[in-house]
Amino acid sequence: MLNFTKFERISPEKRDVLQRLKDYDEVYKVFGNSRAKEQSDRCMQCGDPYCHTGCPLGNFIPAWLKQTATKNPDLAFALSNETSPFPEILGRICPQDSLCEGACSLNTGHGAIAIGAVETHVSEDAFARGLKPKFSNNKKDGKIAIIGSGPAGISAATFLLRKGYQVEMFERADRAGGLMMYGIPGFKLDKSTIDRRMNWLIEAGMKLHLNCEIGKDKSAKDLENEFDSIFIGIGATASRYAGIEGENSSNVHLAMDLLTGIQKKNLGNKNSDFIDVKDKKVLVIGGGDTAMDCVRSSVREGASSVKCLYRRNEANMPGSKKEVVNAKEEGVEFVFNVSPKVIKTDGNIATGVELLTTSMSEPDDSGRQKVVINEGSEYLEEADIIIMALGFSPEAPAFLKELNVETNSWGGIEISKTFQTSNNKVYAGGDCERGAHLAVTAAADGRDAARAIMQILA
Amino acid sequence: MGCNLDLLTSFKDNCGFGLVADMQNRQSHKNLEDAITSLERMMHRGAVAADGKTGDGSGLLLSIPEYFMRKIATKEGVDLPETYGIAMIFAKDLSDIDTFEEFCESNDLKVVLRRTVPVDTDALGAQALASLPNIIQVFVVPNTLMSSKRFDAMLYLTRKECEHKLIDKKDFYIPTFSSKVIAYKGLIMPTHIKHFYVDLRDEDFKISFSLFHQRFSTNTLPQWKLAQPFRAIAHNGEINSVEANRFNVEIKSEQLKSEIFSDEEIERLLPILQVGSSDSASLDNMFEFMLANGVDFFKAARSLVPAPWQNAPHMDADLRAFYEYTATAMEAWDGPAAVSLTDGRHIGCLIDRNGLRPSKYVITKDDKLYITSEYGTLSLDEDNILERGRLQSGEMIALDLKHGKVLKEDDINDYLKSSQYYSKWLNEDMDYIQEYIEDSFLNTSDYILDDLEKKQKYFNITYEAIDQMIEPMANDGKEPVGSMGDDTPLACFSQVNRNFTDYFKQKFAQVTNPPIDPYREKVVMSLETGFGQIHNILSEQPEYAKRLKTTSPILMKEKFDILHSFGHPQSPRYDEYYKNKTFSTTFTTDLKASLVALSEKVVKAVKDEQVSVIILDDRNVGEKAKLIPMAMAVGYINHQLLKEEIRHSISIVTVTGEVYDPHMAAVLIAFGATAIYPYMMYATTVALFKRKDLSKYELQRLLKNTQKSVNAGLLKIMSKMGICTIASYRNSGLFDVIGLSDEITNDCFEGAYTDLAGLTYEDIEKKIEKSHINAFIDENCMFPLDLGGFYKYSNGGEYHDYGPATTKAMHNKNANKKEDISDFDSLKELVETRDKKFIRDFFEFNSDKDAIDLSSVESKDEIFKRFASAAMSCGSISPEAHEAVAQAMNTIGGSSNSGEGGEDAKRFGTLKNSKIKQIASGRFGVTPGYLRSAEELQIKIAQGAKPGEGGQLAGHKVTQLIATLRHTVAGVTLISPPPHHDIYSIEDLAQLIFDLKQINPLAKITVKLVSSIGVGTIAAGVAKAYADKIIISGGDGGTGAAPLTSLKHAGNAWEMGLSEAHNALKANHLREFVHVQTDGGLKTGMDVVKAAMLGAESYAFGTAALTLLGCKILRICHTNKCSVGVATQDETLRDHFEGTVERLISYFTFIAEDVRNILASLGYSTIEEIVGRSDLLKVIDDDFAKKFDFQNILRRIDGVDTCQKESNEPFDDNKYEKDLLKKVHRTIENPNSPVKVNTEISNLNRSFGALISGEIARYYGDKGLPENSININLKGIAGQSFGAFLSTGMNLNLAGAANDYVGKGMNGGKIIIKPTHQGQNFAGGGNTCLYGATGGKLYIRASVGERFAVRNSGCISVVEGTGDNPCEYMTGGIVVILGNTGINFGAGMTGGLSFVYDPEKGFVDKMNQELIEAVRIDTDDTERERLYLKRLLLDYLHETESNEADRILQNFRSEIRNFWMVKPKNMTVLPLDPDEGD
Repeated sequence: MLNFTKFERISPEKRDVLQRLKDYDEVYKVFGNSRAKEQSDRCMQCGDPYCHTGCPLGNFIPAWLKQTATKNPDLAFALSNETSPFPEILGRICPQDSLCEGACSLNTGHGAIAIGAVETHVSEDAFARGLKPKFSNNKKDGKIAIIGSGPAGISAATFLLRKGYQVEMFERADRAGGLMMYGIPGFKLDKSTIDRRMNWLIEAGMKLHLNCEIGKDKSAKDLENEFDSIFIGIGATASRYAGIEGENSSNVHLAMDLLTGIQKKNLGNKNSDFIDVKDKKVLVIGGGDTAMDCVRSSVREGASSVKCLYRRNEANMPGSKKEVVNAKEEGVEFVFNVSPKVIKTDGNIATGVELLTTSMSEPDDSGRQKVVINEGSEYLEEADIIIMALGFSPEAPAFLKELNVETNSWGGIEISKTFQTSNNKVYAGGDCERGAHLAVTAAADGRDAARAIMQILA
Repeated sequence: MGCNLDLLTSFKDNCGFGLVADMQNRQSHKNLEDAITSLERMMHRGAVAADGKTGDGSGLLLSIPEYFMRKIATKEGVDLPETYGIAMIFAKDLSDIDTFEEFCESNDLKVVLRRTVPVDTDALGAQALASLPNIIQVFVVPNTLMSSKRFDAMLYLTRKECEHKLIDKKDFYIPTFSSKVIAYKGLIMPTHIKHFYVDLRDEDFKISFSLFHQRFSTNTLPQWKLAQPFRAIAHNGEINSVEANRFNVEIKSEQLKSEIFSDEEIERLLPILQVGSSDSASLDNMFEFMLANGVDFFKAARSLVPAPWQNAPHMDADLRAFYEYTATAMEAWDGPAAVSLTDGRHIGCLIDRNGLRPSKYVITKDDKLYITSEYGTLSLDEDNILERGRLQSGEMIALDLKHGKVLKEDDINDYLKSSQYYSKWLNEDMDYIQEYIEDSFLNTSDYILDDLEKKQKYFNITYEAIDQMIEPMANDGKEPVGSMGDDTPLACFSQVNRNFTDYFKQKFAQVTNPPIDPYREKVVMSLETGFGQIHNILSEQPEYAKRLKTTSPILMKEKFDILHSFGHPQSPRYDEYYKNKTFSTTFTTDLKASLVALSEKVVKAVKDEQVSVIILDDRNVGEKAKLIPMAMAVGYINHQLLKEEIRHSISIVTVTGEVYDPHMAAVLIAFGATAIYPYMMYATTVALFKRKDLSKYELQRLLKNTQKSVNAGLLKIMSKMGICTIASYRNSGLFDVIGLSDEITNDCFEGAYTDLAGLTYEDIEKKIEKSHINAFIDENCMFPLDLGGFYKYSNGGEYHDYGPATTKAMHNKNANKKEDISDFDSLKELVETRDKKFIRDFFEFNSDKDAIDLSSVESKDEIFKRFASAAMSCGSISPEAHEAVAQAMNTIGGSSNSGEGGEDAKRFGTLKNSKIKQIASGRFGVTPGYLRSAEELQIKIAQGAKPGEGGQLAGHKVTQLIATLRHTVAGVTLISPPPHHDIYSIEDLAQLIFDLKQINPLAKITVKLVSSIGVGTIAAGVAKAYADKIIISGGDGGTGAAPLTSLKHAGNAWEMGLSEAHNALKANHLREFVHVQTDGGLKTGMDVVKAAMLGAESYAFGTAALTLLGCKILRICHTNKCSVGVATQDETLRDHFEGTVERLISYFTFIAEDVRNILASLGYSTIEEIVGRSDLLKVIDDDFAKKFDFQNILRRIDGVDTCQKESNEPFDDNKYEKDLLKKVHRTIENPNSPVKVNTEISNLNRSFGALISGEIARYYGDKGLPENSININLKGIAGQSFGAFLSTGMNLNLAGAANDYVGKGMNGGKIIIKPTHQGQNFAGGGNTCLYGATGGKLYIRASVGERFAVRNSGCISVVEGTGDNPCEYMTGGIVVILGNTGINFGAGMTGGLSFVYDPEKGFVDKMNQELIEAVRIDTDDTERERLYLKRLLLDYLHETESNEADRILQNFRSEIRNFWMVKPKNMTVLPLDPDEGD
């Protein structure tokens, strides 16, 4: 260990741009054994492991780094999976630069440990050697329904099954995985990884009900009667609009519609809502990870040009930095410091966006810079297709009311410290409670809610 | 128990001592005069009160002055028969004398005279006068016809009975009651003893021998009865193992059979030890008891203070057999000891195995034997001297008065070994477990457990425990090292699963006794363990040799099985002597009742079934069975067995999962376990390496390593208390037990120190229940163990005060402006809301005043003066960090601390100069210039992270800069010994303080101690040794590297030690003489204010300062890989240092302002007003807080709360050298005019040369004056520390001899010592000469004592013989020895060279060959070395006119073959410059 002076930080190898533009396969290659060992060996095993505290799941990062470095892959696998429901997935999709790797003690001047890449390696390597996650054989009496099969739901199910509880999962879509299935493009996360996890849960005894929307296909009351506890992890699926003139035009789309359509196509599904961007000029409004997913998908769909419009400067982008780099490599053009004023239309067809330039104010006490609109700086960006990637809000479906689950002003479910809703049998976590956030925080919520449920059921 | 009030007035004592005897047993008054003169001239070794009269006590133990006593009796009309005895009695209440006389009558003794001893009270100080008892002599004669042997026995029995009867009369004491000796002693200065006791002035008062003693007690409440000598001994030193010895005396008392006394009389004699007496008095009681029962004088002496034999391969086999036989029932009374002893016929002196106390003898041609702590206490005619020598480690010398013969070590050994057939006895009856084993650690069947992981979880074997402790032990065979301090709560406050042994804090030696080095001085250490009964100690029988032995108390399956088979009836080896029975230590409900029931079962088995090996086994712990903590079980049963008086017949063997580090093992042994079979440690190791697919031999090595690590750790823990053998450590209870209820500590851990009485059996049971559920109910799924969080932070694990959140809060923002202090609000919030983690968190303010306006509170600049940085050496931290700390502290007006390891002279006199310079045991970089650059000189006795231990700076970290600062060569490993080799006792500390006050009279001398129960006693002693400031460091202090269990388990919270020290100083009226400082995890103004209220006047910050400079608490300092450039010497990493002086200043500003705000809110305007005001604190209103007893911490006794004196002036004003300084000052003013002075010197003139050297260094630094500028020619016997810290340009020529510490810390110049009697058989200097020397030359044409040239790093020296341990830890310089050397030569020697003349070819066996090798210099390629040696010898001859050098040089061609050159093995370039030799 402590070999950070000997080895430099190395990120996982990326596939060649020209190659990767041709398909939706993952861009990053998984670390091999020796690279994973070498990169893990850089870890200082700090007395204050900031990576561990910087991880929403509190993963035992230094522990499995050490076991990887000292060639105890089975132990690394066990340690990594103890706290995390699907480390190989989060290793791929977490914004590590703002979480564990951002907090890594070596991140100041030496280059953080490539934690995400090692994390993916640890589990993938174990799976390849035939290892599987463990679940309890001692079945317990408690029955828990999980609504939603996204990261929060899968996480809750995983930790409940580990202790032997009976779990049934309800998903309104045709496939499980939620945002991870339809929101995140395949070049970031291979869909088979989700199916693999779901299959293990089913093997462990979970019943999965697809195409089953609560309140429609199954009543909330039935659910409440049949189960001892219910966990709601339905995410934040309502997309936001910018609220500007012209956004109702037929060629102005929501990010999730674009991404879902493409994913369904890639999965070979029937796909009536597919948005074809081939040979078109695409403008994506927004600067988060979803915007990156849209621009990079558009490039792969053969758009003639793809531009990303963002209100702040590059340094203030909320999404993962490496995604911006990848997008640029793939030919996406970025327009920073612009704010959409109005969408120009020709009948029902949008033709472009009128933009105002912006600048950043001096940092305030909290260090945050505000956006200042430069009055009179209007100019036009032409477009054939405009994608709104402005974030998501909770949907607050009707069954919540039937279950007497209270929501707040913006539709988020209200919970106690122990993830209990106003109905003490019902728990909630993830985006439907906290608003659109990360898969890892949803996974943490799911896990901690599961522990709270088990406390009550035990 | 609970209330430690008595600790404030308890004491430890050390001293000067000796004896005078006429070898022909001729009685004379002159003998008495000589004894008194010797005593007077060692007055500096005792303590003197301000009135110049009250000392800590002194006295004489004399042969009965036959003529004088008969004269007195006749005068009183009594005609004394041939056989009579005299009692010397101190009694306030005269009716006690009646009681005494009644006992005499009942024992057939006729009282013929009661005499009031005439005294002159003018000789007494006020304190002594106030407590003066009646001093009465009672003369008795046999009432019936009885043999003189019987008569003596009756005297002893009478005294013991009377003592038992009057046990509550604190003022009744019988100094002696004997037909052979009589004591004249008391609270008198040696100079006044004759003045006080009128008898002693009578010329007719003639004696043939005298033991004498001058006491230095750590407290100021001396008592008449504490004065030495006792009835048979006078002791200089301290018995470190006394707690164990006392316990063991009780065990031995269970079955005594005496030839002198009947069983009934023995009952009347018991207990052997007087309650409440000192360690020395207990030793005296035991020795006297043995003598009274007819045990041979020499056997009694050597069984109590044996020479090291277990690991002394060259010892004569028969002698070894004597010791091995004796050890079956007797364990060493271990610790620094020079003991003079007598039974009336023999008189002698012996010294401990480590040679830690000086004992010097002179034999004269007119048949006198003088033994004293120092040479030169009597002005003897040099021509009359036959022999001048000293006792070496473990040696004894005696005089047989009957035959007028001196018995030296060899004579005594010959007598001992041939007195019985010890070898034969041992051959017949002693069994060694090892002999029945093919090989150990190959059978792992016991270590494969089905429910291993559950058990690991239950025994708190977390991922971290494996990763941080067990795995490194298995891999490396030693305990792992960590860094930074312990920032976790005490176990009793913790909310997480902690080990039961976490309630125990290791005791360690500081000041009054030295720790020892278990690695470099291995020869004295032993873990040898035996099973079997303790026999009658009063007789020697062949069958007493029966013993089953093993080399370590840590067993493995193979040895355990053998042990078990010896005691198991079905086994062919069965021997009922070792009959065993196994008891499970698990329970289901009710811990207390289960403990009692278990103990009853054990007692019953011992009584009814004659079981002698008790096996306590926790292996059946499981879902239903919970665990009685093994320490609890062992401690409880041990005490019950003693109560039942059957402890002597049993051995307690524990089979436990609770031991997987050395600390855990030490706790069990200290409370009575004979041996430990730590199966979970082995099981964990096997499981850990199972997946590696190792061969069984590789696995064997790993398992062996774990045992080896625990063994080494045990040695380390024992050596911390200065204890060498496990037998003397067993039953010692040498722990502070923190936070357990009085009930538990009384039941299980009686004898140990305790504080914060709190958790009850029920509380402990609840904790056990919780961990039981965690292990057996709450299973993890993927990774079955808990993660841990004890050593390093982990979510959900133990609380860490420097956890990520706190550290981040301290790093919060890049505030560069001093005014910008709002920055630390989140830190303040975190610290103040951490909720009952540390003792201070349990207190809230309770002011008696209304708040005042902030503007009327003293300024922050006033407060800054009270701030210091904690000692951190340049070496442990980078030069950048070191300088930033210094600059910040100097800017605000606080003080920075150089730490151990020198400081770049370029920084002296600048803003980067550290005001505090540290003097630590390695003496690295301690030069005259360094000492003069300081305003405060801090003697580091102990360090919070690893009190009682030394340190090591690995060669690869010794960069050029570090090497220069520490006066060594880059790449050389630097070792700091555990003790200061010039401080083995309190009078030694007084001497070092005196040295430092000479070299730098302007500096304050501070002594850094570590919090431990009993530190108050030490603090009082330190104040009496004339320190100006005392630091009480918390056990949580940081470090660059320390063994993990030391970091975690040694040293208490500062709150405890501070309060105790403050109150003890007050109780002894010493608080006004010294300033008190504390450190340990202080972070905010609240911490500072609470520290002030508990008695601290100033405050030091270590880790906090580093954190502000960018430290992220990575805890990797020891790896040299600090990624932020704070604690590393790596050039590349140092580039990452981003700390700023401003940032540090902003932090201290925050603290000072925080303090001001709190003061204002409390209504006080200065810190001074609240120092010691513990009444301004109260315990918070909280249920958890109510569990604990904080009275010892919140105690406030009457008296002055702060230091009132500018300086704590020594009794000795050193006028002698002050006068000389005036004479030579012209040369210091004008370096080009050399001066020569001729004068006489005596042993009263101590630290000679330091004052002048200091004056030189004041102006010229280490450069000094031109060579040979000041030449001082002296005649006589010089006092201690002759030539200490000598500066370049000073030459000291002494015609005579010198005492201990010659050339200590010398940096330049020359010391030439020419005794009249030259050569290896005469002494020219004492112990520990050249300690920490950095340059200059020392030539002595005679031999020197123990530990010559320890830590020498630059001096060139020639002597003609040395004692044991020469050249230890040497890193530079050259030492030539033209005669015999002692054993353990060059232990830890990593640099420098030595030439040893060895015509007898015995030298190589005396080397400690771990690091050094000896090579011949008579080959072609050693020409340079030969030439060098020759030139050096020529120079030596020229300076000393040594006959030996002359002879060798005459025959140099042939003699060269008799020289060895000794060098560190890995040294390739020899530091020889032939030009230096002439």
